[in-house]
Amino acid sequence: MILFYILKKFILIILFYISFFLFIFINFSSAVEPEEFMQDEKNELRARDISKNIRCLVCQNQSIDDSSAELAKDLRILIRKKISDGSTNKEIYDFLSARYGDFILLNPPLKLNTIVLWTFPFILLFFSIFLIYWHNKKSDGKEIK
Amino acid sequence: MSKKIYIIPLILFLIVILTFLYFLISQRDPNQVPSALINKKIPSFASTSLFNNKKILSDEIFVKKTFIVNFFATWCAPCRVEHEYIEKLSRDDNIRIIGINYKDESKKTMEWLNELGNPYFEVLEDKEGKIGLEWGVYGLPETFVINDKNIIVYKHIGPLTEKNFKGFYKKVKESYN
Repeated sequence: MILFYILKKFILIILFYISFFLFIFINFSSAVEPEEFMQDEKNELRARDISKNIRCLVCQNQSIDDSSAELAKDLRILIRKKISDGSTNKEIYDFLSARYGDFILLNPPLKLNTIVLWTFPFILLFFSIFLIYWHNKKSDGKEIK
Repeated sequence: MSKKIYIIPLILFLIVILTFLYFLISQRDPNQVPSALINKKIPSFASTSLFNNKKILSDEIFVKKTFIVNFFATWCAPCRVEHEYIEKLSRDDNIRIIGINYKDESKKTMEWLNELGNPYFEVLEDKEGKIGLEWGVYGLPETFVINDKNIIVYKHIGPLTEKNFKGFYKKVKESYN
């Protein structure tokens, strides 16, 4: 029984360390390869920033900054080339969404077809506040029997 | 009235469930990203011909005819499967098929075409995948249908198979009728 208890505790500790290290790695990992880096540090950071907002279409729930897919690499290089050619961030986003659609942006733009997506949380929030308020008002002053 | 309001969350919940159910049973494949290029003019590019290394501009080659642009590569297994259907399409005299050889080696492609037959009117090389980027390609094979006004009318992602060939060919016919 005691042995079982120690084993359980041991496994828990191991799991804790594993998750702790995974957490660290997940936060600092990126698929950008050394030869892709730009000379200018400021531009490199800009490129990283844009890459984090671009969806990798092969893996879909990863940004191209995180993905090691071939296409993601091509897009990262393209973004860096555009930056060194003097494009603005908006021009780069427009270039990509013109070819791959808004789906490539991890942050969907506010448009007519995404209006529900953007407003629904707020509608839900107001509705919930109203419901709580209305419910509390009704029971105000009444004692629980 | 007081009790009726409690039914609202239930209705909302049902709406959410029904939406999920709709997407679950409708034959929607999340891997197929809708193309942003449909009903737009073809992106222009310059490339070289696989057969004679001649420089070719996209404006020169796409002329008042229905075109099919097929992105393929010898390293892409589904492209090999698809090849017989590209061959079938090439028998239609109303269309011309342009192959774009994506990130591939010329020698291997020549061998591939010699082995399987060449259904292409012209094969253009895209060694660095730049044309692919311009056309919004993200996985091979991808096949575009272009009408005689150089407008992209349809895009098929993934290989043409027995299952989807009829539907695809219908789209092709619509574009030249």
